[in-house]
Amino acid sequence: MKVPIRKISSADLRRASQALFLLLFLFLFLQTESKGGDELGYPVRIFLDFDPLLSISSLLSSHALTTAFYLSLILVVVTIFLGRVFCGWICPLGTLHNLVSSFRKEDTRVMASHWFRIKYYILIFILASSLFTLQLAGIMDPLSLLIRSLSLSIYPLFNYAIRAVFDTIYQWNPPVIVDLSETLYSLLKKSLLSFQQPYFHQGVFLGMLFLLVLGLNLIEKRFWCRFLCPLGALLGILSRYAFLKRSVSEGCTFCGACVPDCQGGALAKDGESWNGAECLYCMNCDDPCPVKAVSFGFGGKAAETSLDLGRRNIALSIASGILTVPLLRITPFTRLSDLNPQLIRPPGSLEEKEFLRRCIKCGECMKVCITNGLQPTLLDAGLEGIWSPVLIPKIGYCEYRCILCGQVCPTGAIRKLTPEEKTRVRIGLAMIDPGRCLPYAHATPCIVCEEVCPTARKAIRLEQVKVKDRKGREVILKRPKIDLSLCIGCGICETRCPVSGQPAIYVTSAGESRSKDNQLLIV
Amino acid sequence: MDRRDFLKSAAVAGLGMALPGTYNLLLPQVEAAEKTDLVVARGASPSKTTLAAMNAMGGIKRFISRGDIVVVKPNIGWDRTPEYAANTNPEVVATLVRLCYEAGAKKVKVFDYPVNDARRCYKQSGIADAARAAGAEVSFVDERKFKDVRINGMALKSWPLYKDILETDKIINVPIAKTHGLATLTLGMKNWMGVMGGWRSRLHHRIDENLVDVSRAIKPTLVVLDAVRILTASGPQGGDLDDVKKLDTIIVGTDQVAVDAYGATLFGMKGADLGYVKLGHEVGLGTMNLSRLKIRKIHL
Repeated sequence: MKVPIRKISSADLRRASQALFLLLFLFLFLQTESKGGDELGYPVRIFLDFDPLLSISSLLSSHALTTAFYLSLILVVVTIFLGRVFCGWICPLGTLHNLVSSFRKEDTRVMASHWFRIKYYILIFILASSLFTLQLAGIMDPLSLLIRSLSLSIYPLFNYAIRAVFDTIYQWNPPVIVDLSETLYSLLKKSLLSFQQPYFHQGVFLGMLFLLVLGLNLIEKRFWCRFLCPLGALLGILSRYAFLKRSVSEGCTFCGACVPDCQGGALAKDGESWNGAECLYCMNCDDPCPVKAVSFGFGGKAAETSLDLGRRNIALSIASGILTVPLLRITPFTRLSDLNPQLIRPPGSLEEKEFLRRCIKCGECMKVCITNGLQPTLLDAGLEGIWSPVLIPKIGYCEYRCILCGQVCPTGAIRKLTPEEKTRVRIGLAMIDPGRCLPYAHATPCIVCEEVCPTARKAIRLEQVKVKDRKGREVILKRPKIDLSLCIGCGICETRCPVSGQPAIYVTSAGESRSKDNQLLIV
Repeated sequence: MDRRDFLKSAAVAGLGMALPGTYNLLLPQVEAAEKTDLVVARGASPSKTTLAAMNAMGGIKRFISRGDIVVVKPNIGWDRTPEYAANTNPEVVATLVRLCYEAGAKKVKVFDYPVNDARRCYKQSGIADAARAAGAEVSFVDERKFKDVRINGMALKSWPLYKDILETDKIINVPIAKTHGLATLTLGMKNWMGVMGGWRSRLHHRIDENLVDVSRAIKPTLVVLDAVRILTASGPQGGDLDDVKKLDTIIVGTDQVAVDAYGATLFGMKGADLGYVKLGHEVGLGTMNLSRLKIRKIHL
């Protein structure tokens, strides 16, 4: 006697694929962390490499190819043949939307049916602005958004919560239990937790934005994918002539049973007419059909619904995209490259204008920065530069021999440096504040900045001086002096300066090797 | 040490080299009769030199007992590879770990509280891999394990020290010899900065007193000073191979002040030239009068 086995449906395969890619994404995300070596291994960047929205917008905005643009061609070809399978089967943010959507009780449509066009206008807006050198794609690109939100907010939150629990047990110290919890904690430290607790400016803000994006699913299923996602829109356009199509056989009774399960909102109310560009190929519609009339296959007639965005709306999207370029650039930042002396960019960053044309604000460089010194900007580089990386030495310095940020940058906004190059790239210069420095202002010995200065010939040298203390006694002191030709601005002196509050030695971007203008006269 | 002594010890050490590891354990009995204060061994192989120095000192069993938990504390302060002489030689560390296990140690822990990123320091120094291969438990410092300890010293009243160094049976201090901007040289006593928590930068204000205070609070069973390569300028971090001098030397002793005083001679100085050595001598932590010590020199 045969045991009846539930047939594995295409939707089951789709779910398995989603789970697999989400896990792969999270695995790579966790791998985007230093293990102490010079090379990273498998950065999560690879998902961004496959993203054609980023490669096209980068090509337009900076006239340069992204680091691994050829991988994005693969997704283009796949979409041309198979439609938006990426959205339904692969996209990790799509999978999260899928999961949150399942908390929605009723599968009814709330938004007006033409709202799906919004994402196309967003796409047109982004591409129009990138044609005029403004790189905004990363703000709303789903992968960039996901990596940024996880790196700067959700993952730090996760770490903080877990650590707090184990720290509490550790402090409380109940016998036996504490041994168990510490064993578990050390296992977690080796697997899911970061090496050290990350802290980021705007973690709260970015986290709330992310939760908002996920929360939209409670208004309507896969809200982001249906109405907002610019990558989904791009893939939708590419999928117009896809070979993989949904077809409905003549047995269809137009009962509409398949409509509520449709993830992308691609089906009209009767369940027959199908908008291929909106279909996420989730395969939910073949199961609920009472007469098994729905099937997916290659060939067949062309998709019936055409994409009618309205000429006026398209023109409006293009115009607003173009106008946003001057709008974001009428700030003093455009005129003065050294307007914000605290704007210390990661080593290998391109000249500021070119840097902004490429940086997609994915946050990977900040995730991988081993001292946590790389932080997202808010308005420090103008609104155009929002969430781009800035080194804040008070939080963490640039480790002399570390070259990880350039390895994870998907667009080459931060160049990949060799270890040898890294020692020569100057991101700023350190200056001493003699009004605060202990040997200068307080006749107190201190050599910390000289000790930690990492350059082969030390950029900070000590000069021996004889001074008199309050009682008139002669004191021999060593005072730090900076050799501006050797300083690379790594900021370890500022991080480690024992003068708390405002450190007595600090770095500004002046002298950065990427800029022609932002230079000191004396160098 | 006279010529005969030297030949004798060299012969013994040579014999030690010729025998497989376990037979080396026989040597302590040969040597037990004579008390040696300081061994200075020189040879091309850091591990063999360490081994010979330990044997000349009376063998590891004189210091480590069966079932001991041992902390081997190297200097892993900087993100530098071994040839830059900023961190303790990994072979020296690994050899000591192996010897401790041969003596029956239950567990050997290796850690330091680096200045640069700990992951990079542990990896680039070669110490994490070498010590792990020798069976040591290599761990990063856990900030929660610093405990405020009453020191009642000249400068330090109390300071957070690392739990693992307080709750261990034996401690082997394995520093490397380097120059230092403030302390002039960093040798054994300065290496204790790596078990101190809090804001360490502040320790520099009264460095000599601080170092003697903490050295009185921590009692190492042995000090093994790595002078395979020494850093003669730009210490303690270095970065220029021109500043590195290869001496192929290992110094072993039990007196923290004596080891550091001998270390000073490697740089053409006297112990008294170092504030903390002089102070350590004065307060009775140890002696810097090398002429009063029985020093055994070995050349492999």
